[in-house]
Amino acid sequence: MANLNIDSVKDRTFDAIVIGSGMSGGWAAKELGDKGLKTLVLERGRDVKHNKDYPTTNMYPWEFAHHGQVTAEIREANPIVNRCYAFGEDAMHFFVKDKEHPYVQEKPFDWIRGYQVGGKSLLWARQTQRWSDFDFDGPARDGFAVDWPIRYKDIAPWYSHVEKFAGISGNLDGIAELPDGEFLPAFPLNAVEQRFSKHVKQHYQNRHVISARCAHLSKPNQIHFDQGRVQCQKRTLCQRGCPFGGYFSANSSTIPWALRSGHVTLRPFSVVESIMYDEKLGKATGVRVIDTNTKEAIEYYADVIFLNAAALNSNLVLLNSTSNRFPDGLGNDSGTLGKYVAFHNYSAHINAEWDGDKEWTTDGRNPAGGGYIPRFRNVYKQETDFLRGYAAGFSAYRYRETSSDGVGEDLKKNLVNDTLSGWKVGSHMMGETIPKESNYVALDKSQKDQWGIPLLKISVDYDDNDAKMKKDYVEQMTEMFTSAGFTNIKASTDNRAPGLDIHEMGGVRMGNDPKTSMLDKWHRLHACQNVYVTDGASMTSTSCQNPSLTYMAFAARAVDHAVSESKKG
Amino acid sequence: MNRRIAIRNMALILGSAAVLPSCLNDNKGKSVIELKHLKLDAEQETLVNDLTETILPKTNTPGAKDLGINLFVFKMIDDCYDEKGQGDFMAGLKEFSEAVDKKHGKSFSELTAAERTAFVNDIEKQSKDPNNKDKDSKAFGFYWTVKGQTVFGYTTSKYFMTEKIVYELVPGRYNAMFPVKKKATA
Repeated sequence: MANLNIDSVKDRTFDAIVIGSGMSGGWAAKELGDKGLKTLVLERGRDVKHNKDYPTTNMYPWEFAHHGQVTAEIREANPIVNRCYAFGEDAMHFFVKDKEHPYVQEKPFDWIRGYQVGGKSLLWARQTQRWSDFDFDGPARDGFAVDWPIRYKDIAPWYSHVEKFAGISGNLDGIAELPDGEFLPAFPLNAVEQRFSKHVKQHYQNRHVISARCAHLSKPNQIHFDQGRVQCQKRTLCQRGCPFGGYFSANSSTIPWALRSGHVTLRPFSVVESIMYDEKLGKATGVRVIDTNTKEAIEYYADVIFLNAAALNSNLVLLNSTSNRFPDGLGNDSGTLGKYVAFHNYSAHINAEWDGDKEWTTDGRNPAGGGYIPRFRNVYKQETDFLRGYAAGFSAYRYRETSSDGVGEDLKKNLVNDTLSGWKVGSHMMGETIPKESNYVALDKSQKDQWGIPLLKISVDYDDNDAKMKKDYVEQMTEMFTSAGFTNIKASTDNRAPGLDIHEMGGVRMGNDPKTSMLDKWHRLHACQNVYVTDGASMTSTSCQNPSLTYMAFAARAVDHAVSESKKG
Repeated sequence: MNRRIAIRNMALILGSAAVLPSCLNDNKGKSVIELKHLKLDAEQETLVNDLTETILPKTNTPGAKDLGINLFVFKMIDDCYDEKGQGDFMAGLKEFSEAVDKKHGKSFSELTAAERTAFVNDIEKQSKDPNNKDKDSKAFGFYWTVKGQTVFGYTTSKYFMTEKIVYELVPGRYNAMFPVKKKATA
């Protein structure tokens, strides 16, 4: 027992504990605070306060020592995180550096992490799409993983709930496989994106190119002003943290809101070692935390625990929470804990040119990034030699072209004598991967971190289904680009390791049967019902939507359930 | 104004004051700018300074030295190039210097501004010729490295981004359908 002399057990006792302060933990904290529960939010990293702790947010390119570039020393010390598209001189302080928090790669896995209040919600790409029953039905229909214990009707009201608060821009597109939501006005498609959208609508069945739906305040409502957020100013420097609160992050939205409720306490620098289980009571009693500054172990107690440490770290916490009752990790009667991890396949891209619409360009910047192509493969029925499918980004752009030929006055003239390039178009693949028992995370048997917590061992890989799907993406997009009249079409694929998609999911999957899954339909551990897991770890399958919106809805729905259960006594 | 202060002022212009003041070293014969990885002697340092000024000379608008672009070039190569890149840079610098000596019998810094310009224009011209045997040489590689960083430093400098183009930190707008005609006159 730690700390009995320093503070009383009473001071360390709460109604609820939330482990993690990012995308889903922030939502759990906000909902618990709104419902008046005395809540402790634990964050392993430092605090990042909205605005105050965005040191680069208002910097001009020339104010960065290397004008935005990453030094060789930092690149060489961080081969993993340096592969992330957002790891630049302006945002590197929000990323975990490779050596700070090691993990074991049984197979190559680029684990991209943000250990701070707000987690990766500061850094995300802000794309938000609802799931439909074409997604929730997937595993049962196609015979993989286990059946989801919920369907669209269960989660739809909670999508609405979180969308209204977070602020999601989009059009009511009326597409069954990508349900509409509570939208602020969409960021419109440009001339060539519209052209492609029309072309696809006319020439293909059930294929759509829509304005990308994103968590930006295109036209804020009162609820957003109440959070201290204002209209998105189209800076597209989001990864630095936004002084306007123009995009949704836990830092600008849920966390300060939760703290203002007066019921929520935030404790940064608190890495959770384990969740404590009481065999007599048959439930979890609290969490054991290591203060990362003092290395002191402290126990906190609560009636209900929300685990939102981000997908793989939520696995780690449960795996490390062992007891006589649960020798293989908390709630792990099924033996599935840590298994059936999956991700999104982002390893194919295509670029081309469009020799038309020269009279049009764009002005300003588009925070949505352009268009979105919802999954069109194997939606209504199985039609290919691979399972499931992919969504795709689609965008068209022109840029300022200059020549840097010559020296002296010639060069100076060339550098300001810009011409507008022709239209370039591009797309990238976002493929569903199939969760498998062989894709797993586990505790390393010998290596521990600086707080004595075992390192996570990650063993996740692509399979044949992914390879076939990747080939199909390239074929289908090439065909669609060709029929649209695009030229100089170039598909490219890369051999990126899983993880760089930053959409790792599963390991603590939901399911109806406690023998084959970890969580019930309310996100509670089947075998320890006062522990809820509502982040990416809970995903039974991955579909191909960007997952954050679904985690937010899961967290809000689970809190509502937990509170109604506690009222029942 | 002594040289140390001049360089400090340039550093301020560049917005990289945090690093540069510690890079100063006024010992005779040694380089003035002390770098972490690159080991340049005074002559080599002067050559790179003069090369950036040849690429981007002071005319009726500021040149590389006025804007501290020469310091930026050193900083980028010292901080952002890996060991191989820095090795190529040093080998190329040596070859470049030798090529100048071979042609003119003096150092790059001893040439007139017109001779320097002619020398680098010749490299630009030869590089465009696919049959030129020198175009993949280390001397040429060195030249394009310095030029690339000079152009990068210049086009991302405060001067360029406020007076030559308008960099918008806060555009506040996205017009998806914008007539090119309007853009040209904007």
